[in-house]
Amino acid sequence: MSGPNGMLYGGDEIGALVFDPGHHSLRVGYAQEDTPKADIPAVVGVGPATHIPDAEEKVPDGNITQSGTKAGNELRHYIDVTELHVPRPGMEVQTYMKDGQVDNWDLFEKMLDYCYAKVIRSPSEHHPALFTEAVWTTRPAREKLAELLFEKYQAPAFFLVKNAVLAAFANGKSTALVVDAGASQTSAVPVIDGYALVSAAVRSPVGGDHLAAQAKTMLTNMHIQMLPIYSIQSKEVIRERERARYTLKTLPAGLTHSWQQYMLKRQYEDFCHCVAQVSESAYDERTAVLVPGVHYEFPGGYHQDFGPERFKLTECLFEQTLGAPHLVTSAVSACDADARVALWGSIVMCGGVAGASGWAERVGRELANRAPSSHRLKTHAPPAPLERRFAAWIGGSILASIGSFQQMWISSQEYDEGGKGQLERKCP
Amino acid sequence: MADILDILDIEHPGAGEISRDSIIHGDKIKKKYITAKSVKRPEGMHREVFALLYNDSNKDLPPLLPTDSGKAYKQTKAKLGMRKARKWTWAPFNNPARKDNAVFHHWKRASDEAKEYPFAQFNKQVSIPSYTESEYNQYLKSEDWSQAETDHLMDMCQRFDLRFIVIHDRWDRAAFRDRSIEDLKERYYGICATLSKVKTNPWSNTVTTVNGEKRIYHYDAEHEKKRKEQLKRLFDRTQDQIDEEQMLLTELKKIEARKRERERKTQDLQKLISRADSGNMPVTNTVPNNTEATHTPSNVSTNNIVRRHDRKLHKKKLSTQQRPVRTMETVTVEWSGIKFPEARSTGVWLRSQRMKLPPGVGQRKTKAIEQELRLMNIDIAPTPTEAICKHFNELRSDLALALDLKNALAACEFDLQALRHQYEALNPGKTLPIPASLCNTTDGETKPMGEIIDVVGSPSALNSTI
Repeated sequence: MSGPNGMLYGGDEIGALVFDPGHHSLRVGYAQEDTPKADIPAVVGVGPATHIPDAEEKVPDGNITQSGTKAGNELRHYIDVTELHVPRPGMEVQTYMKDGQVDNWDLFEKMLDYCYAKVIRSPSEHHPALFTEAVWTTRPAREKLAELLFEKYQAPAFFLVKNAVLAAFANGKSTALVVDAGASQTSAVPVIDGYALVSAAVRSPVGGDHLAAQAKTMLTNMHIQMLPIYSIQSKEVIRERERARYTLKTLPAGLTHSWQQYMLKRQYEDFCHCVAQVSESAYDERTAVLVPGVHYEFPGGYHQDFGPERFKLTECLFEQTLGAPHLVTSAVSACDADARVALWGSIVMCGGVAGASGWAERVGRELANRAPSSHRLKTHAPPAPLERRFAAWIGGSILASIGSFQQMWISSQEYDEGGKGQLERKCP
Repeated sequence: MADILDILDIEHPGAGEISRDSIIHGDKIKKKYITAKSVKRPEGMHREVFALLYNDSNKDLPPLLPTDSGKAYKQTKAKLGMRKARKWTWAPFNNPARKDNAVFHHWKRASDEAKEYPFAQFNKQVSIPSYTESEYNQYLKSEDWSQAETDHLMDMCQRFDLRFIVIHDRWDRAAFRDRSIEDLKERYYGICATLSKVKTNPWSNTVTTVNGEKRIYHYDAEHEKKRKEQLKRLFDRTQDQIDEEQMLLTELKKIEARKRERERKTQDLQKLISRADSGNMPVTNTVPNNTEATHTPSNVSTNNIVRRHDRKLHKKKLSTQQRPVRTMETVTVEWSGIKFPEARSTGVWLRSQRMKLPPGVGQRKTKAIEQELRLMNIDIAPTPTEAICKHFNELRSDLALALDLKNALAACEFDLQALRHQYEALNPGKTLPIPASLCNTTDGETKPMGEIIDVVGSPSALNSTI
């Protein structure tokens, strides 16, 4: 904290927690660490409490714990991959997120319970909590969150920061244009001196989910079957493009549609993650053919090389008015003329889709064509895909451990005195 | 010396034991250099004898016996602070920057005494002027702004530390009408100015005291609006517009290069003419008044553009440097042909040295002169008697001038023909009658020089015929 010569440096850690809820997953961990402690899928499995898992359904480590979930209304909630990815009859998969903000508070509470009990393993009243939020989060949703944290979890302090601001901080900027390519949407938010400009923020519904849906369509058109991985008992080694030979598992009856869809979506995401590549410039069959293909084996055992399809797949992320480059230009042009130079000079890219290989390069290239020539264009993207994905969380981790930030928390005393109305003032 | 000791890992005083202090203040400890005690040679002793006596084993003589005990090359174990580890505790602290006395916990050394929270010193606030209601009614009333809106503005200024872009973004558009950043700034700085006049408390951010006199920052909203408008226009240019501008700029450069080339040619011509004239009359100014008209009007429209740019550009340049053509006018050209150097004053020298062409004459010219001499059946290196030297030099000088003039005439002729062709291309069916006086006929050479000068000097005659 302070050196021998009386100079102040570094941060001051007060045991704060950082929560970064997203559409794809919730990131949670201690401030001052470089990666979140847990990255939990942002869905909750809700199933009948009476079900007792059979031995054969157990995941390899056999880690099916009862304590992580609570029985309420004779329902059990299954959270995190070890619980959720087990086939259970009657278990519906539900998400608590909607349009970038928490929508189903009961489920979200279950999620927070799980975080404190299984991830943090420490009582919530010991840790100030910093939450990230989307720029367009509505006032009721923010106040509801504060209420939940203070009243149910007895948090000593609470703070809410816009995720675009945190992503800028994670990249060492206080003024930046943050392009966040997330699961459900892509957004471009100008950040000036650590404040997000709400009125200039733009977003489009193209994101990782859209990409996964595209992958599904593409594979269907190619007549490749994506078998659910949990349904495969065993498979044989076959030659490339040969018909798959496998035996199916006997699954419990009554698996819900939502759960099956969720599991399949994870597989399509995996496929995109392994295969999809963003081409340097707009898709061109001739150049795409020249790039060596990528091999992918499907759960059933079928495997083949993917060549130009990998590039074709990602073109849906760069549609004329929905792609990130267009969002950036429209967000910048909505800003004051004086701020534009600074914004063009630091464009920060983050989000799960931004980790796709070639994405950042493509955006940078397209922006170079769109940016006014009088501006210096500079794009920043952390080199590691994981850092791009966790940018907002990392920013939160940095912010919550800075010594001069410790005066910003809304403490429980302040909440008791001023109520939730002060949230708008204290967390801009 | 100390460095060598360090390299050889020989301990020297000062490096002693490695402790925490020596690591932290490592570079602060001044290295003490051992100053060799100068042992004086006793009076009367021979130097060689003293050298035997003088013991400098701790200086640079190599040791006679191997002293390597095997330890020196081993990694010596670092002995870090041989003290007890100090305890850390998870201690509560109070942050004076907070107004609510909330208590947080952090790790601190148990031994460190409780101090004020060190990061509290970074809690800086912008001072925003405040006013009471009566003050508002007295001084700050505005037709455009209601008091509620003004209060909202001041509140926002405090909250966002005068970041007007953010204030504009978060402006309560539901309660108040949308305002531009300039409006907000104008109102805020207006209030500051008014209040600082009537109140004693100066607002640090808008009032600066220069030489004991208060200066109030005045915000010029109109100017700012105009500036932003221009900035926006600059940013919103389309690629086509930018390309066009680039194209025009390169065109301008080309035109200027062409103009310079033309000026240079004219200048050369002027020089020649004045040189030719210098024989019979002292030429001071052969250039007519309108120097700009001396541009060969190869393309009248370009010429006009050039002149326009010319005027603009040269307005700046004129202060520092005169235009080359203008300086030409005042130069009195006396020199003609080849100027042979004067005889050197000292020493013995060959007279033939006088006949050597000066180094300034180019290779080509020398060749041409020699060719002419051969045609005239004159020896290239005649016997250098006094008279021959003089005449030979004069002859060669005249020859050089004649050659220059011939070249110039050919160039003019070429220009003239080129113009004629251009004219005919532009006006098909017409022919340009060139006055006989301009034509380089066989008798052209017999024409008096004056006429040629006139023609070159004032192409107005040419223009009129066109």
